[in-house]
Amino acid sequence: MAQEEIFTQEALDSFRAEVRRWVEQNRPPDPGFVLPQTMLSVTTDDQFTYLRDWQAKVYDAGFVGVEWPVEYGGGGRPRGYQRVVDQEMSRAGVPFLINLVGLAWAGPVILAYGTEAQKQRFIMKALRADEIWCQGFSEPSAGSDLASLQTRAVRNGDEWAVSGHKVWTSLGRYAHQMILLARTDPDAQKHAGISFFLAPMKIEGIEVAPLTKLTGEGGFNQIFFDDARFPAERLLGQEGQGWEIALATLGFERGASDGAAGGRSDVYSYDIGALIELARETVRDGRPALEDPSVRDRIARFATEAVAMRFSRLRTRIPGLVADRPMALPLMAKVESSEHLQRLADYGCELQGYAGSLTKGDPAAVDEGEWQRFYLNTYSMTIAGGTSEIVRNILGEKVLGLPKTR
Amino acid sequence: MSALDSISTRLAYTEDQALLRDEARRMLATRSSIEAVRALHPDPVGDDPAVWSELAQLGWLGLLASEEHGGAGLGAVEFAILAEEAGRTLLPTPLLAHVLAAKVVDVGGSAAQRATWLPPLAAGGLRASWAHVEVGGTWRVDDTTVEEEGGRLHGTKAFVWAAETADVFCLPVRVDGEVRIALVRRDAVGLHVQGEAGLDRTRRQGRIVLDGAAPEALLERPASEVEAAILPLAWTALAAESVGGATAALDLTAAYAATREQFGKPIGAFQAIKHPLVNVLIATEQARSLVYAAACAIDQGNDDAVLLARMAKAGSADAYGFATSRAIQFHGGFGFTEDCDAHLYRRRALASRPALGDPDHHRARIADQILGARAP
Repeated sequence: MAQEEIFTQEALDSFRAEVRRWVEQNRPPDPGFVLPQTMLSVTTDDQFTYLRDWQAKVYDAGFVGVEWPVEYGGGGRPRGYQRVVDQEMSRAGVPFLINLVGLAWAGPVILAYGTEAQKQRFIMKALRADEIWCQGFSEPSAGSDLASLQTRAVRNGDEWAVSGHKVWTSLGRYAHQMILLARTDPDAQKHAGISFFLAPMKIEGIEVAPLTKLTGEGGFNQIFFDDARFPAERLLGQEGQGWEIALATLGFERGASDGAAGGRSDVYSYDIGALIELARETVRDGRPALEDPSVRDRIARFATEAVAMRFSRLRTRIPGLVADRPMALPLMAKVESSEHLQRLADYGCELQGYAGSLTKGDPAAVDEGEWQRFYLNTYSMTIAGGTSEIVRNILGEKVLGLPKTR
Repeated sequence: MSALDSISTRLAYTEDQALLRDEARRMLATRSSIEAVRALHPDPVGDDPAVWSELAQLGWLGLLASEEHGGAGLGAVEFAILAEEAGRTLLPTPLLAHVLAAKVVDVGGSAAQRATWLPPLAAGGLRASWAHVEVGGTWRVDDTTVEEEGGRLHGTKAFVWAAETADVFCLPVRVDGEVRIALVRRDAVGLHVQGEAGLDRTRRQGRIVLDGAAPEALLERPASEVEAAILPLAWTALAAESVGGATAALDLTAAYAATREQFGKPIGAFQAIKHPLVNVLIATEQARSLVYAAACAIDQGNDDAVLLARMAKAGSADAYGFATSRAIQFHGGFGFTEDCDAHLYRRRALASRPALGDPDHHRARIADQILGARAP
């Protein structure tokens, strides 16, 4: 018996047709202002409101949290359906779902580790973007070495009091909730002293300070906690279980674990198809760049990588074809896809020749300089959620059995 | 990814296929250990007849041949599985060459030709190889310079796998302006075999000089049709073999890096070693995904087969080269010695890369397929 996908193809095809029809009929109007390329760059109130309304509309149509339990506002469908929605939204080029942290990282760990009350309290509001989530993991002195984090949470009766400093917080200005890592036992071994909180953001003692990203856009923040107090039931899991839950969260963030409620589509419309279009329109030595053998070789390399990634994703679902190294494909997906896109974007800039030195605002910029903005933004993918270097350490140790680096 | 949207192949893998892999891995681990492979280096034949008999009994020599003629009637996925496992152990037995040659007969032969030739090929009593490469390295059947004249063949084929041990060769010849596949016995009068000094001692190769040898048969179907059916299979099998070899080279190197100590710790703890090995892992796993995609496409009769098989061949050759280059380098001074196994895999990778098209060749055709051919 073939171990194929566990859903029936006919049902999935008809669902795809339904999604495609809905997306075509409900494409949101041109906002009249520039939209960010990802949720990392939401800078203005107009952008925020527009994107939040869009997610609510998609949720009301039944296309967010498609596979999540019905009792918490999900669609209760089998695995494979959410990916269809993500693919169709990506294909149609409609805006992304703004509450990515809620849908893809916070939500799955609340479902896995949360109490019944926490699931009731948070899940549906995250799906509908009624509450926006952000992530409070990294600190100025705790990046790749995340477990050395110093933000403190102290229990006082029915409350936790938090003091410390978090950085690289996307959506920090707009978020209602944060998944927060804080040290609750400074005497314990460093991994054991950490706890995981579902912290409210709109309270006293929290200050949000904006950062400007390398693209010149905002949306990135640092968060200062000064004796910020919230109720005891905001702890997720047990005291001291934070590192375990953080690793589970990173599994979702890196795409190594299935179960997101949406938003995991390719957030950029820049892919091999866009590169081919660019090569078709770019003139080199008096002919379309697409006819240059070296350009064709590069495109064939990108195409081979893209197809390999696609079949690697499918292969993870076939136990017999991953038996020798079951964790290899899920763990390497983030490194391979982010670095592939970074190389592809870089080549998109190179193909433009001198025009590649222009940016938005110059009338001669190709595609209004979007390739260049895209390229700079790809560093979010190779850095966030564990840098490519940290993920390579993990792959070397967990998959190849090499000794620990530190 | 608009240009690749039309790819519709679905991955599938059965219980029987998983069992076949287990059986192949178990059998080859004992019968084709690296010690056994090395022991065959000075051997004039280059492979172990006992292993050949065992492969025959398991039905693997007739893997792709029709069941009605004694074959197993299996497909590209099974072939990829066996090729991958054979590649892992550098199996010197010419399994790939023989299975492909038998498939040439199966695809190209008339009913009578298939009834005559397939049973002994499937049973292993007759060893075959596909001799399609020119001295200059061109390898498409239409490139052949072997001519048939008055029932006699004249010309030379080179880079023929198992040239000195095959009993019969399938080779493209020009007959009245048309290219056909001839079957010629090695012991035919007017056929001379010269072994080539191969870089890879685990896969013997040689040159065949035809000086008036008479063919036993001319297969019924035109050579180009036979080639169209064989090439995706051959690319995929060679790619699978390379992925198996790359995996073995990676395992070998990772195991060494985990134990070899310098500066007071295992060298695998250093990121200068660890990260490139992870890059090898990624390249190898990506290539493996392409191999099984291509194999499934062939078995599903999907139009994607040629594109996916070319991608698999290109990707696996690059991955195998990378894996084996790092294998020598990361073994340090030991890696530079004959005793270290790394160079055995490196040699196989170098020898397999040009076979049936190197990565540049395939990428140029991949580009043609997804972008349209270049303007003249």
